[in-house]
Amino acid sequence: MRGLFQLFARYGSFLLFVFLELFSLFLVVRYNQSQRVIFFNSWGLLTASAEQRIDNIGDYIGLKQEVLDLQAKNHKLMEELDNARYNNRLNRDSVQQDSFQQVYTFIGANVISNSVAVANNYLRLDKGSSHGIKPHMGVITDDGVVGIVRHVSSHFCSVMSILHSQSRIKASIKGSGYFGTLVWKNDNPIFMSLEAIPKHASIKEGDVVITSGYSQLFPQGIRIGEIKHISLDPGENFYNIQVQLDVDMGKLRYVSIVENLMKLEHEELDEAINE
Amino acid sequence: MSNIIVINILRFIAFFLVQLLILKRLSYGWEGFMYVNVLLYPLFILLLPFRTPKPLVVFLGFLIGFFVDLGYGTLGVHSGAMVATAYFRSYVINWLEPREGYNIGSSPNKEDMGGGWFIRYTAILMFTHIFIYFCIDAFTPVYIVGIVGKTFWTFLFSMLLLLVVVYTLNPKK
Repeated sequence: MRGLFQLFARYGSFLLFVFLELFSLFLVVRYNQSQRVIFFNSWGLLTASAEQRIDNIGDYIGLKQEVLDLQAKNHKLMEELDNARYNNRLNRDSVQQDSFQQVYTFIGANVISNSVAVANNYLRLDKGSSHGIKPHMGVITDDGVVGIVRHVSSHFCSVMSILHSQSRIKASIKGSGYFGTLVWKNDNPIFMSLEAIPKHASIKEGDVVITSGYSQLFPQGIRIGEIKHISLDPGENFYNIQVQLDVDMGKLRYVSIVENLMKLEHEELDEAINE
Repeated sequence: MSNIIVINILRFIAFFLVQLLILKRLSYGWEGFMYVNVLLYPLFILLLPFRTPKPLVVFLGFLIGFFVDLGYGTLGVHSGAMVATAYFRSYVINWLEPREGYNIGSSPNKEDMGGGWFIRYTAILMFTHIFIYFCIDAFTPVYIVGIVGKTFWTFLFSMLLLLVVVYTLNPKK
């Protein structure tokens, strides 16, 4: 109680000023027609804009769930595509069997760290071995290839970005079927070089580069980018091809990790060759 | 002591009557030219002795503003401006404090503080009051040019009248 008195002795005039000023303004709005109209118009505008803003925030908060839902639906559709399935179709005599077996499935993940500025770039995703992630899985987005999983902990994994001096992505040119390897010459995060396209191949600027599917990391036919520049050094047998990536590696947020359900078989075959 | 209280009660009534019976009519006569509202009643707050408790100054500001509002039929407009001016009074007094400080028992009037100090003191607070008054009157920043124009003319006429009153009647205490 004594503290209250001291408070009033100290700030009494200020408190009284605030109280009487607010009371006066209340009287102004309550009993004066013109000020009343202005006040309620402004108040209406203010609350309307505040409500709008709160609505926007609500939309934005809902957006993340929306993205995850859409990603799940997208994965379902991607798994339905032919390039994610193994076709058991058999043409023998006149008996035809048509059945599909799943090859690729997709796991959604969030990018929690990323870099594009150094020579060997890595990403970190928020999914790990407890979600079924293993090393050597491909990572893609809607716009193309992102990288390959290298190390896995129980909740996170680190992904070797395609913008890495060691990254080799098997790619082919849509329509012609020539295939080569995409490497990054660590100069510009928008461009990669497509190597090992022989000089007799008929290609032109603007051709679309897609995944070849040979590496078993990515489904065949995912669009990576477009050929921007072609040159041929004298005496060389292979083109120098600059590919402009569709994916903006600088602003990734939601990615899909590709799981190959038939990977084991490929590995067994690879081992058989190496023996 | 009780003498000062009686003087101020009488002043309160006098300023109230002058404002409503004379100046209110005067302000309506100017309407064709420009809405000029000559305000004299803030002088009541300005002339309160230095030692008046600050909350009492604020409360008296509200009281005289409220009574003037009742007469003008603009409830809250004058009292809102007057409460703010009464609150700022102590800051202006601190700001204008002479090097040797204020004498105990003196009042902010021409007699005690001298003409130059008094004119500065009244000009600052009258301008504050009139500007806030027209802000509350318009109640929107849209008419800021009109507010400044009215403030200028009203300030001019109010200050003239105020100085005439102070220099003829020469109020003490």
